[in-house]
Amino acid sequence: MEIKLNNVSHSYESQNPDAGLGLDGVSLTIKDKSFTALIGKTGSGKSTLVKHINALLKPTSGTIKIGDREIDSKTNNKNLKPLRQKIGMVFQFPESQLFEETVEKDIMFGPMNFGATEEEARESAKDALKLVGIEESYLQQSPFDLSGGQMRRVAIAGVLASNPETIILDEPTAGLDPVGRIEIMDLFKKLNKQGKTIILVTHNMDDVADYAEYTYVMQNSKLVGQGTPKEIFNNKELVDSGIVSLPQSANFAKKLAEKKYVFDQLPITIDELSNMIKEQLENNG
Amino acid sequence: MANIISIENLSYTYPESESPAVDNVSLEINKGEWISIVGKNGSGKSTLTRLIDGLLEASSGTISVAGQKLTEESLWDIREKIGIVFQNPDHQFVGATVEDDVAFGLENQGIERDQMVREVDQALKLVDMQDFKNRDPQSLSGGQKQRVAIAGVLAVNPEIIILDESTSMLDPEGRETVLSLVKDLWQNKGMTIISITHDIQETALSQRVVIMKNGHLVEDLTPAQLFVMDDLKQYGLDKPFTTLLKEKLNFDPEYQDEEELISKLWKLN
Repeated sequence: MEIKLNNVSHSYESQNPDAGLGLDGVSLTIKDKSFTALIGKTGSGKSTLVKHINALLKPTSGTIKIGDREIDSKTNNKNLKPLRQKIGMVFQFPESQLFEETVEKDIMFGPMNFGATEEEARESAKDALKLVGIEESYLQQSPFDLSGGQMRRVAIAGVLASNPETIILDEPTAGLDPVGRIEIMDLFKKLNKQGKTIILVTHNMDDVADYAEYTYVMQNSKLVGQGTPKEIFNNKELVDSGIVSLPQSANFAKKLAEKKYVFDQLPITIDELSNMIKEQLENNG
Repeated sequence: MANIISIENLSYTYPESESPAVDNVSLEINKGEWISIVGKNGSGKSTLTRLIDGLLEASSGTISVAGQKLTEESLWDIREKIGIVFQNPDHQFVGATVEDDVAFGLENQGIERDQMVREVDQALKLVDMQDFKNRDPQSLSGGQKQRVAIAGVLAVNPEIIILDESTSMLDPEGRETVLSLVKDLWQNKGMTIISITHDIQETALSQRVVIMKNGHLVEDLTPAQLFVMDDLKQYGLDKPFTTLLKEKLNFDPEYQDEEELISKLWKLN
C-alpha cells in the first residue's frame, strides 16, 4: 500500500492558520513494502507527520493518499476504522498504554476493537506474542509484572495482533538496553521482509544506517531532504548545518580523513568502514 | 575522600513480587565522584536510586547520605541533598512557564519571593536557559526541557545529582548539551553525579562504573576496565565502537579510545 502526501500543511490553531504550522507544505511518497526512516530534531514535525498517516490528525490543507483512500481537511471521522486497522502505530513508550489485567487481554483488545471474534483475537494474541519473542506462558500474567523491555514487546504485540500492512514506529527503542534494542529492530526488519511497510521515526542514526532503505529529513515543519541513508549522510549541506547528525562509522571516517585517508563517500556502517580502511591499508601501508 | 553515600546490605522487594529487585547491595560513593550504574532493563538500577532518594522504603539494610541515616524523620532533609533528572522530559513539568517550573522546588521549601527570583535566575543561567524563562516548557526541544529540569534540580542546591537515563530520549545534539552541562557541574561545582545509563560511551565520562544484575551489584570497576570486559552483552551493554572496529580489522584486543585508534591507523597507512 503506497502512501502519498501531497502538499500537506497542518496548523495547530485552525482559526489562525499562520500561527505555528506543525507541517508546512510536505509532499512525499512512502513506497509499498519499504523500510523508510523519518529523521529530524525534536519538534521538527516528524511525529505530526506520522499522525497524519493514520488520520489521528487531518491536514489543514493538502491531501494524503493511503492505498485507494484519500484524506483531506474535510474527511469525516467516521469510517476511519478500516484505515487504522491497516496502519498500526507504536507510540513512544507504548508500555505506558498497557491497561488490562492479563497480557492476553491486552493484546486481544486491538483485534476485538476491529471486529474480530474472541476466538480469533485469542489466536492473534498468541501469534503476536510469539512474533515479539515472548513465551506463551506469559499470556495469563499481568503486564505490570513484566520487565520494561518485556512490557515494550507486549505493547508492540498489541499493535501487530491486528495484522496491519503498515507499521509506524515512533522511537520504538528509546530507553531499551542495547541488547533489547537490537532484538526489537531485528523484529521490524523481519516484518519488513515478510512484506510489511515500516516507517521509523528515530534519533538513532546508526539504526537509520543499519536498517532503512530510504530516509526523509524534517526541519522546522518542512521536508528538507530525502534519499538513501548513504546519500543523506553524505549530503554536506544537511550535515554541516547540523540538521542531520552522523552514524558512528561516518563520524569515525570523517576524523580519520583529517590525515592520509580518503573517503569519496563516507561509510555509514561498521562493515563498510572496516572494508574501506583495509583497502587503503593494503594499497598504501 | 569522604563518603557522601553509604549503602549497607540494602534489599527491596516490590509488593506481590517473588524475588527482590535490589538484593543485599552495599556501596560507598565518594563525595565529588561521578559514578555510572549500568545493567540490563530490570536489573535494579532505578530501584536502587529510588531507595536512595527515599521514594521507596527499603525492606532491609541502611542508607546514609552525607553522614545522615535515611529514616522517616530525615527523609525530607536528605531529599534536599539529592536532585533526580528522569528519562522523559515531558513527565516532569508542573509550571506554566519555565520560570514557574524551576521555582516549584523552592516554593516547597518556603523561601521568600525575592530570594526565590534570584535563585531561579541563577539556576537558569547555569544551564544557559535564561532567555527562555517566560516560555511554556512544552514549547521547548527535548534537550532544552532536560536543561530546565536540571535547573529545577539545581535551584534547591543539591549535593548529589542522579541522572536516570536522562539523555536516552534526546536527539544527538540535545544529548551533547546535557552531558557537557553535567560535566561542568561536576568539575566546577564539585557535585556528586550518579548516572544510570545504557550507553557505554557515556560511562567514559565517569570515574567509576558499577554493574547490576538481577538486583545484585556484581562489578565495581573503571570505565577502561569495563571497555575490555568480555561479555558486555549479559549486562545489556554494546561493545564500544572502537572495540568492534578493531575486531573487524583484526587488531590487538587491548582497549584504545577513539583518538588512540585513529593515530594508530594514521601510523599504519
